[in-house]
Amino acid sequence: MALSKDELKAKILNKAMTAAKPQLYVKDFYECDPESGPRDIKNAANDLVKDGKMVFWSSGSTTMYAAVGRAKDEEHR
Amino acid sequence: MPKHDTPMMDELEKGPWPSFVTDLKRQAVKNDQCWDILGQMELSFRDKMTHWKHGGIVGVFGYGGGIVGRYSDVPEQFPGVAHFHTVRLNQPSSKFYNTEMLRKVCDLWERRGSGMTNMHGSTGDLVLLGTRTDQLEPLFYELTHDLNWDLGGSGSNLRTPACCLGKARCEFACIDTQAVCHGLTMKYQDEIHRPAFPYKFKFKFSGCPNDCVAAIARSDFSLIGTWRDNIRINQAEVKKYVAGEYKNNAGGISESFGKFNIKKDVINLCPTRCMWMEGEELKIDDAECTRCMHCINAMPRALRPGLVKGASVMCGAKAPILDGAQMGTMIVPFVKVDPDTEFEEVVFYIEKIWDWWMEVGRNRERVGETMQRVGLPTFLKVMEIEPIPQHVKRPRENPYVFWAEEEVEGGWQRNVQEFRAKHKM
Ligand code: SF4
Ligand code: SF4
Repeated sequence: MALSKDELKAKILNKAMTAAKPQLYVKDFYECDPESGPRDIKNAANDLVKDGKMVFWSSGSTTMYAAVGRAKDEEHR
Repeated sequence: MPKHDTPMMDELEKGPWPSFVTDLKRQAVKNDQCWDILGQMELSFRDKMTHWKHGGIVGVFGYGGGIVGRYSDVPEQFPGVAHFHTVRLNQPSSKFYNTEMLRKVCDLWERRGSGMTNMHGSTGDLVLLGTRTDQLEPLFYELTHDLNWDLGGSGSNLRTPACCLGKARCEFACIDTQAVCHGLTMKYQDEIHRPAFPYKFKFKFSGCPNDCVAAIARSDFSLIGTWRDNIRINQAEVKKYVAGEYKNNAGGISESFGKFNIKKDVINLCPTRCMWMEGEELKIDDAECTRCMHCINAMPRALRPGLVKGASVMCGAKAPILDGAQMGTMIVPFVKVDPDTEFEEVVFYIEKIWDWWMEVGRNRERVGETMQRVGLPTFLKVMEIEPIPQHVKRPRENPYVFWAEEEVEGGWQRNVQEFRAKHKM
């Protein structure tokens, strides 16, 4: 059975905080719950941004996710 | 007064063409930042490398697109462009603006940014070039609350949909491009404003195969207006063209092309050779017509698209990133584009593609590259589309036929003994 949204968010956030790379693609979170569809994972990750726990990092052409504080912007380097 | 010596930039003001350097100098009188743009570009020309750094976590709250971070890597020398973020605004369908809105957005941008714009970016957005991080939220607030205007897409989002002029101005339009562009922009607000995909995804809508918005070359999903029935022929007008009553290409080409000649200018240029004259009558074998639009463009008073109108769906165009550039592949020859059903048939294919690509697409892989990786037969199966001859680019070189289990009587489990009873080893 797929995880509930809150469980999924907790797993995604944990991965974002502990993964070796500070910035992750949405696909990197798919393994957090193989039972959840790509849309659910994307919605959960986007929700975490709304909650202020993760941020988007965008190159302009691609977007990645990072736990707050792990991705550095140019102005904070 | 210029802040920097820019001899190489100044060169770009010479010659007969309008120059963005002149524009920048004019704007620099109002906004000092523009001197630093010129100064940094001069340095880049000298060093033969860019001094911009792209990307970052900048954006506005709740949105994961529409703003692209940009920073100078020599901010001490050019403090005016230390931050120089780009803001993409969702352009109105077909880029119809009224002057009041343009004035308002320019006034806002002079207060909150460099005042420099790009009308328009290649995706179609109205692009505002250069502002500081602390200006982003106030700019967004005014933009949405006072101007009722929204950001476009960037990053791994659905990019701002774009369409040709369509029925607003063009007699060739087979679909209402503005209705479908606006309808799907509203339907997919979440996908435009927040990343959803392995990479960018673009929609473009052209009203006919002239494809003025270059959908087939630039969009992951292009909808191009077409017709199912026959080209409408007005034989009386054909006669007038033949008699030379109308100038060749409505006088739009040089006299040296000579008088309109139906054989040379139309019939012989039909790519499928499906036109001919019978006496004074023009005939078309419509079953062979590939809807290239050439004859209709050449004789618009005599020929018009048919009456049963809809669109073809192409998929997978892209500029060269990983592999080379790629045109869209025709996937569905004809769909109805009907606002009354909220574009049901179009939405069906869009969502089928997304569901599959979100699952199977690799990071930073455009859907056209995913299609190429799995092959068209697999892609068509996913889309639940029966292959048709028009899907075949050229006859295959591989003599082997691969059957799927469900295509073979008895599948892989049939009784071999029974088979061997009839067919000795
Ligand atoms: S694509 Fe066709 S319908 Fe659209 S503006 Fe061009 S010619 Fe007209
Ligand atoms: S539209 Fe193109 S293919 Fe069709 S009849 Fe005219 S010239 Fe030939």
